[in-house]
Amino acid sequence: MQKTVKIPLKEFQQWMQQLLLDPYQQTGIKPSDLLSNATNAASIEDVICHSEKLTAQEHLAIYQRSYIARLRNCMSQQFSALEYALGEAIFCAFADDYLASKPSTNYNLSFLGDQFTDYLENNRPDANEDVKEDWIDFMIELARFEYAIGVLFEEKAEENYQLAAIDTSEDQLKLVPVFTLFKFRFPVRKYYHEFKNGKNPVLPFGKESYCVVLRHKFKLSIYDLHKEQYDFLCLLKESKNMIETKEWFKIHYKDNTVQFEQVWSSWKERWLDSHFFRV
Amino acid sequence: MENRLGLPNLGLGLGLRSQHFEHILEKNPAVDWFEVISENFMDSYGLPRYILHQIAEKYPVVMHGVSLSIGSTDPLNFDYLKSLKQLAAEVKPAWISDHLCWTGVLTTNSHDLLPLPLNEESLKHVCNRIRQVQDYLERPLIVENPSTYASFNNSTLPEWEFLRIMTEETGCGLLLDVNNVYVSSFNNDFDPVAYINGIPHDKVVQMHLAGHQNCGNYIIDTHDREVNNQVWKLFQQAYQLVNQVSVLLEWDGNIPAFDVYHSELLKSKQYMDAAFVGVEKEVFSIDKEQVSNPLNLFAVDKFL
Repeated sequence: MQKTVKIPLKEFQQWMQQLLLDPYQQTGIKPSDLLSNATNAASIEDVICHSEKLTAQEHLAIYQRSYIARLRNCMSQQFSALEYALGEAIFCAFADDYLASKPSTNYNLSFLGDQFTDYLENNRPDANEDVKEDWIDFMIELARFEYAIGVLFEEKAEENYQLAAIDTSEDQLKLVPVFTLFKFRFPVRKYYHEFKNGKNPVLPFGKESYCVVLRHKFKLSIYDLHKEQYDFLCLLKESKNMIETKEWFKIHYKDNTVQFEQVWSSWKERWLDSHFFRV
Repeated sequence: MENRLGLPNLGLGLGLRSQHFEHILEKNPAVDWFEVISENFMDSYGLPRYILHQIAEKYPVVMHGVSLSIGSTDPLNFDYLKSLKQLAAEVKPAWISDHLCWTGVLTTNSHDLLPLPLNEESLKHVCNRIRQVQDYLERPLIVENPSTYASFNNSTLPEWEFLRIMTEETGCGLLLDVNNVYVSSFNNDFDPVAYINGIPHDKVVQMHLAGHQNCGNYIIDTHDREVNNQVWKLFQQAYQLVNQVSVLLEWDGNIPAFDVYHSELLKSKQYMDAAFVGVEKEVFSIDKEQVSNPLNLFAVDKFL
Protein backbone atom coordinates (compact mmCIF):
# COMPACT_ATOMS: atom_id res chain seq x y z
CA MET A 1 0.00 0.00 0.00
CA GLN A 2 1.29 3.47 -0.89
CA LYS A 3 2.31 5.59 2.07
CA THR A 4 0.48 8.89 2.66
CA VAL A 5 3.03 11.69 2.59
CA LYS A 6 2.35 14.85 4.56
CA ILE A 7 4.74 17.77 4.71
CA PRO A 8 3.90 21.20 6.12
CA LEU A 9 4.32 23.69 3.26
CA LYS A 10 6.86 25.75 5.20
CA GLU A 11 9.06 22.72 5.82
CA PHE A 12 8.73 21.58 2.23
CA GLN A 13 9.90 24.95 0.92
CA GLN A 14 12.87 25.17 3.29
CA TRP A 15 13.83 21.62 2.34
CA MET A 16 13.65 22.24 -1.40
CA GLN A 17 15.45 25.56 -1.19
CA GLN A 18 18.25 23.98 0.81
CA LEU A 19 18.70 21.38 -1.92
CA LEU A 20 18.85 24.09 -4.59
CA LEU A 21 21.31 26.35 -2.77
CA ASP A 22 23.53 23.61 -1.44
CA PRO A 23 23.21 20.64 -3.80
CA TYR A 24 26.45 19.02 -2.56
CA GLN A 25 25.56 19.60 1.11
CA GLN A 26 28.67 21.62 1.85
CA THR A 27 27.05 23.73 4.55
CA GLY A 28 26.59 20.82 6.93
CA ILE A 29 22.82 21.23 6.91
CA LYS A 30 21.07 17.93 6.26
CA PRO A 31 17.95 18.59 4.18
CA SER A 32 16.13 15.68 5.84
CA ASP A 33 16.53 17.47 9.20
CA LEU A 34 14.28 20.19 7.78
CA LEU A 35 11.39 17.73 7.49
CA SER A 36 10.97 17.10 11.21
CA ASN A 37 7.18 17.50 11.16
CA ALA A 38 6.61 15.57 7.95
CA THR A 39 4.92 12.21 7.75
CA ASN A 40 6.58 9.50 5.66
CA ALA A 41 8.99 11.98 4.08
CA ALA A 42 12.72 11.92 4.72
CA SER A 43 14.40 11.30 1.38
CA ILE A 44 14.16 13.04 -1.99
CA GLU A 45 12.26 10.01 -3.33
CA ASP A 46 9.72 10.37 -0.52
CA VAL A 47 8.96 13.96 -1.50
CA ILE A 48 9.44 14.16 -5.26
CA CYS A 49 7.66 11.81 -7.66
CA HIS A 50 9.64 9.89 -10.21
CA SER A 51 8.26 9.89 -13.74
CA GLU A 52 8.38 7.42 -16.61
CA LYS A 53 11.62 8.97 -17.84
CA LEU A 54 13.33 10.46 -14.78
CA THR A 55 14.06 9.53 -11.18
CA ALA A 56 13.10 11.87 -8.37
CA GLN A 57 16.75 12.93 -8.11
CA GLU A 58 16.84 13.73 -11.82
CA HIS A 59 13.72 15.87 -11.53
CA LEU A 60 15.28 17.82 -8.67
CA ALA A 61 18.56 18.14 -10.58
CA ILE A 62 16.83 20.17 -13.31
CA TYR A 63 16.02 22.83 -10.70
CA GLN A 64 19.47 22.57 -9.13
CA ARG A 65 21.20 23.14 -12.47
CA SER A 66 18.94 25.97 -13.55
CA TYR A 67 19.31 27.80 -10.22
CA ILE A 68 23.06 28.18 -10.50
CA ALA A 69 23.09 28.56 -14.31
CA ARG A 70 20.63 31.47 -14.21
CA LEU A 71 22.54 33.34 -11.51
CA ARG A 72 25.93 32.66 -13.09
CA ASN A 73 24.54 34.02 -16.32
CA CYS A 74 23.34 37.13 -14.56
CA MET A 75 26.70 37.67 -12.83
CA SER A 76 28.43 37.22 -16.15
CA GLN A 77 26.23 39.94 -17.69
CA GLN A 78 26.77 42.31 -14.77
CA PHE A 79 30.55 41.78 -14.72
CA SER A 80 31.37 41.01 -18.34
CA ALA A 81 34.69 42.89 -18.37
CA LEU A 82 35.73 41.24 -15.12
CA GLU A 83 34.82 37.83 -16.54
CA TYR A 84 37.03 38.56 -19.54
CA ALA A 85 39.86 39.74 -17.28
CA LEU A 86 39.70 36.73 -14.97
CA GLY A 87 38.86 34.16 -17.62
CA GLU A 88 35.58 32.26 -17.59
CA ALA A 89 36.66 29.42 -15.27
CA ILE A 90 38.11 31.62 -12.51
CA PHE A 91 35.24 34.09 -12.76
CA CYS A 92 32.77 31.23 -12.48
CA ALA A 93 34.55 29.87 -9.39
CA PHE A 94 34.42 33.30 -7.71
CA ALA A 95 30.78 33.82 -8.77
CA ASP A 96 29.71 30.40 -7.48
CA ASP A 97 31.41 30.94 -4.16
CA TYR A 98 29.91 34.43 -3.86
CA LEU A 99 26.42 33.13 -4.64
CA ALA A 100 26.86 30.36 -2.08
CA SER A 101 28.01 32.76 0.62
CA LYS A 102 25.57 35.56 -0.27
CA PRO A 103 22.39 34.07 -1.75
CA SER A 104 20.18 36.66 -3.39
CA THR A 105 17.64 38.31 -1.14
CA ASN A 106 16.30 40.88 -3.57
CA TYR A 107 13.57 40.23 -6.11
CA ASN A 108 15.47 42.44 -8.54
CA LEU A 109 18.33 40.60 -10.27
CA SER A 110 20.04 43.94 -10.90
CA PHE A 111 21.17 43.80 -7.28
CA LEU A 112 22.64 40.32 -7.54
CA GLY A 113 26.21 41.62 -7.72
CA ASP A 114 25.69 44.26 -5.06
CA GLN A 115 28.19 42.74 -2.62
CA PHE A 116 30.51 41.08 -5.12
CA THR A 117 33.27 43.68 -4.79
CA ASP A 118 33.25 43.36 -1.02
CA TYR A 119 33.29 39.60 -1.43
CA LEU A 120 36.36 39.82 -3.71
CA GLU A 121 38.13 42.08 -1.23
CA ASN A 122 37.38 39.77 1.68
CA ASN A 123 38.30 36.61 -0.19
CA ARG A 124 41.34 37.67 -2.18
CA PRO A 125 43.61 34.71 -2.93
CA ASP A 126 46.63 36.49 -1.38
CA ALA A 127 44.85 37.31 1.88
CA ASN A 128 47.48 35.49 3.94
CA GLU A 129 50.49 36.76 2.00
CA ASP A 130 52.63 39.66 3.18
CA VAL A 131 53.10 40.98 -0.33
CA LYS A 132 49.82 41.59 -2.14
CA GLU A 133 49.44 40.93 -5.83
CA ASP A 134 48.59 43.84 -8.11
CA TRP A 135 46.26 41.94 -10.42
CA ILE A 136 43.85 41.28 -7.59
CA ASP A 137 43.61 44.98 -6.80
CA PHE A 138 42.90 45.63 -10.46
CA MET A 139 40.10 43.03 -10.51
CA ILE A 140 38.49 44.60 -7.44
CA GLU A 141 38.61 48.07 -8.99
CA LEU A 142 37.20 46.77 -12.27
CA ALA A 143 34.34 44.96 -10.48
CA ARG A 144 33.46 48.08 -8.50
CA PHE A 145 33.44 50.21 -11.65
CA GLU A 146 31.34 47.78 -13.68
CA TYR A 147 28.70 47.46 -11.00
CA ALA A 148 28.63 51.24 -10.50
CA ILE A 149 27.94 51.77 -14.21
CA GLY A 150 24.79 49.65 -13.90
CA VAL A 151 23.65 51.52 -10.80
CA LEU A 152 24.14 54.92 -12.44
CA PHE A 153 22.21 53.77 -15.51
CA GLU A 154 19.17 52.90 -13.36
CA GLU A 155 19.44 55.70 -10.79
CA LYS A 156 16.45 57.86 -10.00
CA ALA A 157 17.35 61.44 -10.84
CA GLU A 158 15.93 64.65 -12.22
CA GLU A 159 16.07 64.62 -16.01
CA ASN A 160 14.22 67.78 -17.06
CA TYR A 161 16.95 70.28 -16.30
CA GLN A 162 18.51 72.93 -18.50
CA LEU A 163 22.11 72.48 -19.51
CA ALA A 164 24.46 75.39 -18.89
CA ALA A 165 25.82 77.28 -21.88
CA ILE A 166 29.03 79.19 -22.47
CA ASP A 167 27.36 82.45 -21.48
CA THR A 168 25.91 81.03 -18.23
CA SER A 169 27.23 82.94 -15.27
CA GLU A 170 29.80 80.83 -13.40
CA ASP A 171 27.98 81.16 -10.10
CA GLN A 172 25.03 79.39 -11.78
CA LEU A 173 26.99 76.32 -12.86
CA LYS A 174 25.96 73.10 -11.14
CA LEU A 175 26.93 69.51 -11.86
CA VAL A 176 24.27 67.41 -13.62
CA PRO A 177 22.35 65.12 -11.22
CA VAL A 178 24.02 61.83 -12.17
CA PHE A 179 27.71 62.63 -11.92
CA THR A 180 30.10 60.22 -10.19
CA LEU A 181 33.86 60.58 -9.96
CA PHE A 182 36.22 57.62 -9.89
CA LYS A 183 39.84 57.35 -8.82
CA PHE A 184 41.72 54.14 -9.63
CA ARG A 185 45.16 52.69 -8.98
CA PHE A 186 44.98 51.14 -12.47
CA PRO A 187 43.78 52.36 -15.88
CA VAL A 188 40.39 50.76 -15.28
CA ARG A 189 38.36 53.06 -17.53
CA LYS A 190 40.68 52.42 -20.50
CA TYR A 191 40.55 48.65 -19.97
CA TYR A 192 36.76 48.70 -19.67
CA HIS A 193 36.38 50.86 -22.77
CA GLU A 194 38.63 48.61 -24.86
CA PHE A 195 36.79 45.50 -23.75
CA LYS A 196 33.38 47.00 -24.49
CA ASN A 197 34.60 47.99 -27.93
CA GLY A 198 35.51 44.46 -28.87
CA LYS A 199 39.24 44.72 -28.28
CA ASN A 200 41.25 42.28 -26.18
CA PRO A 201 42.97 44.41 -23.56
CA VAL A 202 45.82 42.88 -21.57
CA LEU A 203 46.10 43.19 -17.81
CA PRO A 204 47.46 46.69 -17.19
CA PHE A 205 50.30 47.78 -14.95
CA GLY A 206 49.50 50.05 -12.05
CA LYS A 207 48.98 53.66 -13.03
CA GLU A 208 46.71 56.07 -11.20
CA SER A 209 43.75 57.13 -13.31
CA TYR A 210 40.63 59.24 -12.92
CA CYS A 211 37.31 59.49 -14.71
CA VAL A 212 33.77 60.72 -14.37
CA VAL A 213 30.57 58.91 -15.32
CA LEU A 214 27.64 61.20 -16.00
CA ARG A 215 24.14 60.77 -17.37
CA HIS A 216 22.29 63.18 -19.61
CA LYS A 217 18.96 62.40 -21.24
CA PHE A 218 19.32 58.86 -19.84
CA LYS A 219 22.56 58.24 -21.74
CA LEU A 220 25.74 57.52 -19.78
CA SER A 221 29.05 59.09 -20.79
CA ILE A 222 32.50 58.41 -19.37
CA TYR A 223 35.32 60.96 -19.53
CA ASP A 224 38.95 60.64 -18.50
CA LEU A 225 40.21 63.27 -16.11
CA HIS A 226 43.61 64.48 -14.93
CA LYS A 227 44.32 64.44 -11.22
CA GLU A 228 43.82 68.22 -10.97
CA GLN A 229 40.50 68.00 -12.78
CA TYR A 230 39.40 65.15 -10.53
CA ASP A 231 40.33 67.13 -7.40
CA PHE A 232 38.56 70.21 -8.71
CA LEU A 233 35.38 68.33 -9.52
CA CYS A 234 35.45 66.53 -6.15
CA LEU A 235 35.57 69.90 -4.45
CA LEU A 236 32.75 71.20 -6.61
CA LYS A 237 30.61 68.12 -5.98
CA GLU A 238 31.09 68.55 -2.26
CA SER A 239 30.63 72.33 -2.06
CA LYS A 240 28.03 72.65 -4.83
CA ASN A 241 29.36 76.18 -5.36
CA MET A 242 31.55 77.04 -8.32
CA ILE A 243 32.90 80.33 -6.99
CA GLU A 244 33.93 78.77 -3.66
CA THR A 245 35.41 75.78 -5.45
CA LYS A 246 37.54 77.96 -7.67
CA GLU A 247 38.79 79.93 -4.67
CA TRP A 248 39.59 76.80 -2.65
CA PHE A 249 41.24 75.25 -5.63
CA LYS A 250 43.45 78.30 -6.16
CA ILE A 251 44.54 78.10 -2.52
CA HIS A 252 45.13 74.36 -2.74
CA TYR A 253 47.09 74.74 -5.95
CA LYS A 254 48.59 78.10 -5.03
CA ASP A 255 51.81 77.36 -6.91
CA ASN A 256 49.75 76.92 -10.05
CA THR A 257 47.40 79.90 -9.75
CA VAL A 258 48.54 81.41 -12.99
CA GLN A 259 48.29 78.13 -14.85
CA PHE A 260 44.87 77.43 -13.37
CA GLU A 261 43.43 80.69 -14.65
CA GLN A 262 44.87 79.84 -18.03
CA VAL A 263 43.48 76.30 -18.18
CA TRP A 264 40.14 76.98 -16.52
CA SER A 265 38.58 78.43 -19.64
CA SER A 266 39.55 75.36 -21.68
CA TRP A 267 38.26 73.01 -18.95
CA LYS A 268 35.04 74.94 -18.77
CA GLU A 269 34.53 74.93 -22.53
CA ARG A 270 35.18 71.20 -22.80
CA TRP A 271 33.05 70.34 -19.79
CA LEU A 272 30.14 72.43 -21.05
CA ASP A 273 30.33 70.57 -24.37
CA SER A 274 30.35 67.29 -22.47
CA HIS A 275 27.22 68.18 -20.45
CA PHE A 276 28.94 68.40 -17.04
CA PHE A 277 26.94 71.45 -16.02
CA ARG A 278 23.35 72.44 -15.61
CA VAL A 279 21.90 75.71 -14.37
CA MET B 1 -14.49 44.28 -26.35
CA GLU B 2 -15.13 43.49 -22.70
CA ASN B 3 -14.16 39.98 -21.76
CA ARG B 4 -13.47 37.94 -18.64
CA LEU B 5 -13.51 39.78 -15.33
CA GLY B 6 -14.37 42.95 -17.22
CA LEU B 7 -10.97 42.84 -18.92
CA PRO B 8 -10.69 43.39 -22.66
CA ASN B 9 -9.47 41.05 -25.38
CA LEU B 10 -6.36 42.92 -26.44
CA GLY B 11 -5.66 40.73 -29.47
CA LEU B 12 -2.17 39.49 -30.35
CA GLY B 13 0.72 40.79 -28.28
CA LEU B 14 4.48 40.53 -27.93
CA GLY B 15 6.81 40.72 -24.97
CA LEU B 16 8.58 44.07 -24.79
CA ARG B 17 12.33 43.47 -24.99
CA SER B 18 15.06 46.13 -24.83
CA GLN B 19 16.54 44.88 -28.11
CA HIS B 20 13.39 46.13 -29.86
CA PHE B 21 12.94 49.52 -28.16
CA GLU B 22 14.36 51.50 -31.04
CA HIS B 23 12.38 49.61 -33.67
CA ILE B 24 9.09 50.04 -31.82
CA LEU B 25 9.58 53.75 -31.20
CA GLU B 26 10.66 54.47 -34.76
CA LYS B 27 8.41 52.14 -36.77
CA ASN B 28 5.28 51.89 -34.62
CA PRO B 29 4.76 48.26 -35.69
CA ALA B 30 1.21 46.92 -35.99
CA VAL B 31 1.24 44.89 -32.79
CA ASP B 32 -1.96 44.93 -30.76
CA TRP B 33 -0.30 45.18 -27.34
CA PHE B 34 2.89 44.56 -25.34
CA GLU B 35 3.56 42.59 -22.20
CA VAL B 36 6.35 43.88 -19.97
CA ILE B 37 8.22 41.94 -17.30
CA SER B 38 7.37 44.08 -14.28
CA GLU B 39 10.69 43.52 -12.51
CA ASN B 40 12.65 44.88 -15.48
CA PHE B 41 11.13 48.30 -14.88
CA MET B 42 9.95 48.50 -11.27
CA ASP B 43 13.20 49.75 -9.79
CA SER B 44 14.71 51.21 -12.91
CA TYR B 45 14.54 54.97 -13.21
CA GLY B 46 16.76 55.28 -16.25
CA LEU B 47 16.18 54.86 -19.95
CA PRO B 48 14.11 51.65 -19.84
CA ARG B 49 11.34 53.18 -17.72
CA TYR B 50 11.39 56.35 -19.82
CA ILE B 51 10.95 54.26 -22.97
CA LEU B 52 8.22 52.18 -21.34
CA HIS B 53 6.26 55.36 -20.68
CA GLN B 54 6.50 56.29 -24.35
CA ILE B 55 5.41 52.84 -25.51
CA ALA B 56 2.55 52.74 -23.01
CA GLU B 57 1.21 55.94 -24.55
CA LYS B 58 1.00 54.24 -27.93
CA TYR B 59 0.05 50.65 -27.11
CA PRO B 60 -1.99 48.79 -24.49
CA VAL B 61 0.40 47.24 -21.97
CA VAL B 62 0.10 44.36 -19.54
CA MET B 63 2.47 43.87 -16.59
CA HIS B 64 3.72 40.33 -16.08
CA GLY B 65 5.72 39.53 -12.96
CA VAL B 66 8.08 36.77 -11.91
CA SER B 67 8.75 37.68 -8.27
CA LEU B 68 5.43 37.97 -6.46
CA SER B 69 6.06 34.51 -4.98
CA ILE B 70 2.40 33.97 -4.25
CA GLY B 71 3.05 30.46 -2.94
CA SER B 72 5.89 31.28 -0.56
CA THR B 73 5.47 30.81 3.18
CA ASP B 74 7.49 33.98 3.75
CA PRO B 75 5.32 37.04 4.40
CA LEU B 76 4.17 38.90 1.29
CA ASN B 77 6.77 41.46 0.27
CA PHE B 78 4.93 44.77 0.50
CA ASP B 79 7.98 46.70 -0.71
CA TYR B 80 7.67 44.69 -3.88
CA LEU B 81 3.93 45.28 -4.08
CA LYS B 82 4.37 49.00 -3.48
CA SER B 83 6.86 49.28 -6.32
CA LEU B 84 4.59 47.15 -8.54
CA LYS B 85 1.59 49.35 -7.77
CA GLN B 86 3.60 52.50 -8.43
CA LEU B 87 4.67 51.24 -11.86
CA ALA B 88 1.07 50.24 -12.60
CA ALA B 89 -0.10 53.74 -11.68
CA GLU B 90 2.33 55.14 -14.27
CA VAL B 91 1.87 52.60 -17.06
CA LYS B 92 -1.83 51.83 -16.55
CA PRO B 93 -1.64 48.18 -17.58
CA ALA B 94 -4.77 46.38 -18.70
CA TRP B 95 -3.96 43.81 -15.98
CA ILE B 96 -1.18 42.49 -13.78
CA SER B 97 -0.17 38.85 -13.84
CA ASP B 98 2.28 36.52 -12.09
CA HIS B 99 2.80 32.80 -11.61
CA LEU B 100 1.43 30.07 -9.39
CA CYS B 101 4.76 29.37 -7.75
CA TRP B 102 7.14 30.37 -4.99
CA THR B 103 10.58 31.92 -5.55
CA GLY B 104 12.19 31.48 -2.15
CA VAL B 105 11.84 31.44 1.63
CA LEU B 106 13.75 32.76 4.66
CA THR B 107 14.25 35.98 2.62
CA THR B 108 16.32 34.18 -0.03
CA ASN B 109 15.29 34.57 -3.65
CA SER B 110 16.11 31.71 -6.02
CA HIS B 111 14.93 33.73 -9.04
CA ASP B 112 13.20 30.60 -10.25
CA LEU B 113 9.50 29.80 -10.50
CA LEU B 114 9.44 26.89 -8.08
CA PRO B 115 6.55 24.42 -8.03
CA LEU B 116 4.14 23.93 -5.16
CA PRO B 117 2.75 20.69 -3.86
CA LEU B 118 -0.91 20.96 -4.84
CA ASN B 119 -3.08 20.11 -1.83
CA GLU B 120 -5.56 21.64 0.60
CA GLU B 121 -2.90 23.43 2.61
CA SER B 122 -1.19 25.08 -0.36
CA LEU B 123 -4.55 25.96 -1.93
CA LYS B 124 -5.73 27.72 1.21
CA HIS B 125 -2.37 29.46 1.56
CA VAL B 126 -2.31 30.67 -2.05
CA CYS B 127 -5.95 31.82 -1.95
CA ASN B 128 -5.34 33.86 1.20
CA ARG B 129 -2.38 35.58 -0.38
CA ILE B 130 -4.13 36.25 -3.69
CA ARG B 131 -6.91 37.98 -1.74
CA GLN B 132 -4.36 40.15 0.07
CA VAL B 133 -2.59 41.05 -3.17
CA GLN B 134 -5.86 41.88 -4.92
CA ASP B 135 -6.93 44.07 -2.00
CA TYR B 136 -3.62 45.91 -2.09
CA LEU B 137 -3.46 46.32 -5.86
CA GLU B 138 -7.20 47.06 -6.05
CA ARG B 139 -7.58 44.86 -9.10
CA PRO B 140 -7.90 41.15 -9.88
CA LEU B 141 -4.65 39.26 -10.13
CA ILE B 142 -4.15 37.13 -13.22
CA VAL B 143 -2.33 33.91 -12.31
CA GLU B 144 -0.30 31.84 -14.77
CA ASN B 145 0.28 28.09 -14.68
CA PRO B 146 4.07 27.61 -14.49
CA SER B 147 6.27 25.11 -16.30
CA THR B 148 7.19 22.42 -13.80
CA TYR B 149 10.01 19.90 -13.75
CA ALA B 150 8.85 17.95 -10.70
CA SER B 151 5.68 16.88 -8.96
CA PHE B 152 5.27 15.87 -5.33
CA ASN B 153 4.03 12.89 -3.41
CA ASN B 154 2.03 15.10 -1.07
CA SER B 155 0.02 16.62 -3.93
CA THR B 156 -3.62 15.63 -3.82
CA LEU B 157 -5.10 17.84 -6.53
CA PRO B 158 -4.37 17.97 -10.25
CA GLU B 159 -3.19 21.43 -11.26
CA TRP B 160 -6.30 22.20 -13.33
CA GLU B 161 -8.50 21.42 -10.33
CA PHE B 162 -6.30 23.59 -8.10
CA LEU B 163 -6.67 26.45 -10.58
CA ARG B 164 -10.45 25.97 -10.80
CA ILE B 165 -10.93 26.20 -7.03
CA MET B 166 -8.41 29.04 -6.76
CA THR B 167 -10.28 31.19 -9.26
CA GLU B 168 -13.65 30.39 -7.62
CA GLU B 169 -12.38 31.22 -4.14
CA THR B 170 -10.55 34.44 -5.01
CA GLY B 171 -12.07 35.86 -8.17
CA CYS B 172 -8.65 35.96 -9.79
CA GLY B 173 -8.20 35.34 -13.51
CA LEU B 174 -6.02 32.85 -15.35
CA LEU B 175 -3.18 33.28 -17.75
CA LEU B 176 -3.13 29.96 -19.58
CA ASP B 177 0.36 29.23 -20.84
CA VAL B 178 -0.16 26.46 -23.35
CA ASN B 179 3.55 25.82 -23.71
CA ASN B 180 3.82 25.44 -19.94
CA VAL B 181 1.00 22.89 -19.98
CA TYR B 182 2.84 20.94 -22.65
CA VAL B 183 6.21 21.16 -20.86
CA SER B 184 4.75 20.15 -17.49
CA SER B 185 2.73 17.30 -19.00
CA PHE B 186 5.82 15.89 -20.71
CA ASN B 187 7.93 16.20 -17.55
CA ASN B 188 5.31 14.90 -15.14
CA ASP B 189 3.39 12.32 -17.17
CA PHE B 190 -0.07 13.82 -17.41
CA ASP B 191 -2.35 14.35 -20.38
CA PRO B 192 -2.15 17.96 -21.60
CA VAL B 193 -5.55 17.72 -23.23
CA ALA B 194 -7.14 16.64 -19.94
CA TYR B 195 -5.50 19.71 -18.38
CA ILE B 196 -6.84 22.02 -21.07
CA ASN B 197 -10.31 20.49 -20.73
CA GLY B 198 -10.20 20.72 -16.94
CA ILE B 199 -9.37 24.38 -16.38
CA PRO B 200 -12.16 26.92 -15.89
CA HIS B 201 -12.32 28.34 -19.43
CA ASP B 202 -14.40 31.32 -18.45
CA LYS B 203 -11.63 32.55 -16.12
CA VAL B 204 -8.91 32.65 -18.79
CA VAL B 205 -8.02 36.24 -19.54
CA GLN B 206 -4.84 35.68 -21.51
CA MET B 207 -2.87 32.91 -23.20
CA HIS B 208 0.89 32.52 -23.54
CA LEU B 209 2.81 30.79 -26.29
CA ALA B 210 6.55 30.15 -26.27
CA GLY B 211 9.29 27.90 -27.59
CA HIS B 212 10.92 25.20 -25.50
CA GLN B 213 13.94 22.92 -25.58
CA ASN B 214 13.41 19.19 -25.76
CA CYS B 215 16.32 17.55 -23.95
CA GLY B 216 15.15 13.99 -24.67
CA ASN B 217 13.91 12.82 -21.30
CA TYR B 218 12.61 16.20 -20.26
CA ILE B 219 11.70 19.60 -21.66
CA ILE B 220 12.97 23.00 -20.53
CA ASP B 221 10.77 26.05 -20.97
CA THR B 222 13.46 28.20 -22.56
CA HIS B 223 11.48 30.88 -24.45
CA ASP B 224 14.37 31.01 -26.88
CA ARG B 225 12.98 29.65 -30.14
CA GLU B 226 9.91 29.20 -32.30
CA VAL B 227 6.79 27.53 -30.94
CA ASN B 228 6.83 23.75 -31.22
CA ASN B 229 4.18 22.17 -33.47
CA GLN B 230 2.77 20.12 -30.61
CA VAL B 231 2.25 23.34 -28.67
CA TRP B 232 0.54 24.95 -31.65
CA LYS B 233 -1.83 21.96 -31.77
CA LEU B 234 -2.55 22.29 -28.07
CA PHE B 235 -3.10 26.02 -28.52
CA GLN B 236 -5.56 25.27 -31.30
CA GLN B 237 -7.58 23.02 -29.01
CA ALA B 238 -7.37 25.38 -26.06
CA TYR B 239 -8.38 28.42 -28.08
CA GLN B 240 -11.61 26.75 -29.16
CA LEU B 241 -12.48 26.27 -25.49
CA VAL B 242 -11.47 29.64 -24.06
CA ASN B 243 -12.34 31.68 -27.17
CA GLN B 244 -11.62 35.35 -27.72
CA VAL B 245 -8.82 36.01 -25.28
CA SER B 246 -5.60 37.97 -25.58
CA VAL B 247 -2.69 35.94 -26.89
CA LEU B 248 0.97 36.64 -26.32
CA LEU B 249 4.16 35.06 -27.62
CA GLU B 250 7.07 35.06 -25.16
CA TRP B 251 10.67 35.14 -26.40
CA ASP B 252 13.36 35.78 -23.79
CA GLY B 253 16.56 34.15 -25.07
CA ASN B 254 18.24 34.30 -28.49
CA ILE B 255 15.86 37.15 -29.17
CA PRO B 256 15.42 37.55 -32.93
CA ALA B 257 14.82 40.66 -35.01
CA PHE B 258 11.45 42.23 -34.30
CA ASP B 259 9.92 41.14 -37.62
CA VAL B 260 10.87 37.50 -37.03
CA TYR B 261 9.33 37.65 -33.56
CA HIS B 262 6.20 39.29 -34.90
CA SER B 263 5.69 36.83 -37.74
CA GLU B 264 5.92 33.92 -35.29
CA LEU B 265 3.12 35.55 -33.29
CA LEU B 266 0.98 35.99 -36.39
CA LYS B 267 1.02 32.22 -36.97
CA SER B 268 -1.40 32.02 -34.06
CA LYS B 269 -4.14 33.47 -36.31
CA GLN B 270 -4.12 30.25 -38.35
CA TYR B 271 -4.30 28.06 -35.27
CA MET B 272 -7.28 29.97 -33.92
CA ASP B 273 -9.19 28.22 -36.72
CA ALA B 274 -10.20 24.73 -35.56
CA ALA B 275 -10.04 23.43 -39.13
CA PHE B 276 -6.45 24.53 -39.81
CA VAL B 277 -4.05 21.63 -40.38
CA GLY B 278 -0.56 22.62 -39.31
CA VAL B 279 2.75 20.91 -39.86
CA GLU B 280 2.58 17.36 -38.53
CA LYS B 281 6.22 16.37 -38.43
CA GLU B 282 8.84 18.14 -36.46
CA VAL B 283 12.58 17.91 -36.52
CA PHE B 284 14.35 18.81 -33.32
CA SER B 285 17.91 18.49 -32.24
CA ILE B 286 19.24 18.00 -28.76
CA ASP B 287 21.71 20.69 -27.82
CA LYS B 288 23.24 21.92 -24.59
CA GLU B 289 20.65 22.45 -21.87
CA GLN B 290 19.58 26.08 -21.79
CA VAL B 291 18.16 28.04 -18.91
CA SER B 292 15.03 30.14 -19.04
CA ASN B 293 15.42 33.70 -17.90
CA PRO B 294 12.57 36.14 -18.33
CA LEU B 295 14.56 38.93 -16.77
CA ASN B 296 16.09 41.17 -19.35
CA LEU B 297 19.21 42.83 -17.99
CA PHE B 298 19.76 45.84 -20.15
CA ALA B 299 22.95 46.01 -22.13
CA VAL B 300 24.09 49.22 -20.48
CA ASP B 301 27.05 49.58 -22.83
CA LYS B 302 24.59 50.05 -25.68
CA PHE B 303 23.65 53.33 -24.05
CA LEU B 304 27.19 54.46 -23.22
